[in-house]
Amino acid sequence: MRFSNLTPTGIASRLIDLLIGIVTLVAIGALWEYLVQNGHLNPYFFPPPTEIADELEKITTVGFPRGVTIFSHIQATVLRILKGYAMAAVLGIPIGLFVGSRQFLDRAVMPVVTFARSVATISLLPLMVAWFGVGELSRVLLVFYGCFWVIMTNSAFAVKTIHPQYIQAAETLGASKTQIFFQVMLPASLPRIFSGMKVALGLAFLYIVAVELINAEEGLGSLIWEARTFYRSDTMMVGLFMLSIFGFALAQGLDLLEKVLLPWAESLEEIER
Amino acid sequence: MNEKIRIAGVFKSFKSRRNEESVAVEDINLTVQTNEFVTLVGRSGCGKTTLLNMMAGLLRPTDGSILIDDQPVDGPGPDRGMVFQHSALFPWLTTAGNIEFGPKNQGVPKAKRREIAQELIELVRLKGFENKYPRELSGGMQQRVAIARALATDPEILLMDEPFGALDELTRSEMQSELLRIWQARTKTVIFVTHSISEAIFLSDRVIILSPHPGRIRKEVVIDLPRPRQLASQEFLQYYEEIQSAIF
Repeated sequence: MRFSNLTPTGIASRLIDLLIGIVTLVAIGALWEYLVQNGHLNPYFFPPPTEIADELEKITTVGFPRGVTIFSHIQATVLRILKGYAMAAVLGIPIGLFVGSRQFLDRAVMPVVTFARSVATISLLPLMVAWFGVGELSRVLLVFYGCFWVIMTNSAFAVKTIHPQYIQAAETLGASKTQIFFQVMLPASLPRIFSGMKVALGLAFLYIVAVELINAEEGLGSLIWEARTFYRSDTMMVGLFMLSIFGFALAQGLDLLEKVLLPWAESLEEIER
Repeated sequence: MNEKIRIAGVFKSFKSRRNEESVAVEDINLTVQTNEFVTLVGRSGCGKTTLLNMMAGLLRPTDGSILIDDQPVDGPGPDRGMVFQHSALFPWLTTAGNIEFGPKNQGVPKAKRREIAQELIELVRLKGFENKYPRELSGGMQQRVAIARALATDPEILLMDEPFGALDELTRSEMQSELLRIWQARTKTVIFVTHSISEAIFLSDRVIILSPHPGRIRKEVVIDLPRPRQLASQEFLQYYEEIQSAIF
């Protein structure tokens, strides 16, 4: 009745939306190309789409720096994100659920949490390097740190705000404490846990690029930074577009996962950060 | 008839944050017979929901005792089914999943609880909606599921907290007739909380009128009319006036 986005007309209207989006993008690209070709924009600062495509081809075959192809950059960045993000989810969700379901613990822990997540994550990089060296570990841990607090606080908040009537209903139906946790509190928390995970994914991209800008040899962030040394704005644009494509793809994947896992949930609009 | 519920000298007070005590119900004495349909009516603040929650075991009386089959109530349990005002259905479970929740957690095997759910779905006339989620159902249908869910553990007592309060007028009167049909099919002891005097007369064997601040029993009216009852009949109106004058 209310799953209107799955009806034939719903699918049609989404396709039309997609089409409009593509047409808009193509139009902007064409305008850009036109402005550069006719001398209205400086190609040095605003490399036109055709030039960016050429550059992408070069990075794919020759690599930038020579030998390091776009695939290695993408792989390095995506792997760092996935490692840090997965760690943050695996630890953040259970810890958040545990803390949120115990009032005393919640009161004791939350001030620490508020402080820890107020620390600007990037500013921890030098400290991470001092503790864990300049290798992969400190990069991944930084992503982990940035994501963990968001996932954990959202999970804790999710349990805290469960409507007490769900618990009461389960109690009058004879469910035990364990049954209530796994069959009521956990599913009731999932929509908000997911919204925390979505915010964290965006943050993961933010932090990894910052880390790679400062210290890394491979990765889309370091590609952009290296290009700067040679004043290659077309190369920077390639890195930038790759980042947005993969950021978008992962976010869409997460949305899809949510739709599959939580067909019953309406998407949450308000999000805790 | 046997005595099913005995409430003797029950007081309930709550402490506010500033440690002020407020009395919700005071000196409640009430016995309910097996298979009787009793309604609690009264204005907001008369403690009718508090009283119901104490029978459910969700609240403990500050003083006095509540006995069910001569046993003191000690926490909630599947022998007392509860239907809430806003269905409180689990949104992540389908109609069948919600109904099977109680039996499942009692360890009833899968095939058996499927059977229980099927039977109840037919009883509440929701065939074809087994696999719908609550948000795909109308308010009236949600309350049908909530009633079926409460019946799934085969409780002897059904506690209903303004179950039709959030429904529109037409759905509400339809659900009242449905409830009577279900009650007659399953013979339960029902405690029903409502704001509506006509709902109370239409449904119950006995109406308990509570007065607020603190909640006390003001009057009891036995409704001695054959069912189905006619809302506009002379006797109905007389009961209405009697109850209304007791409330105000």
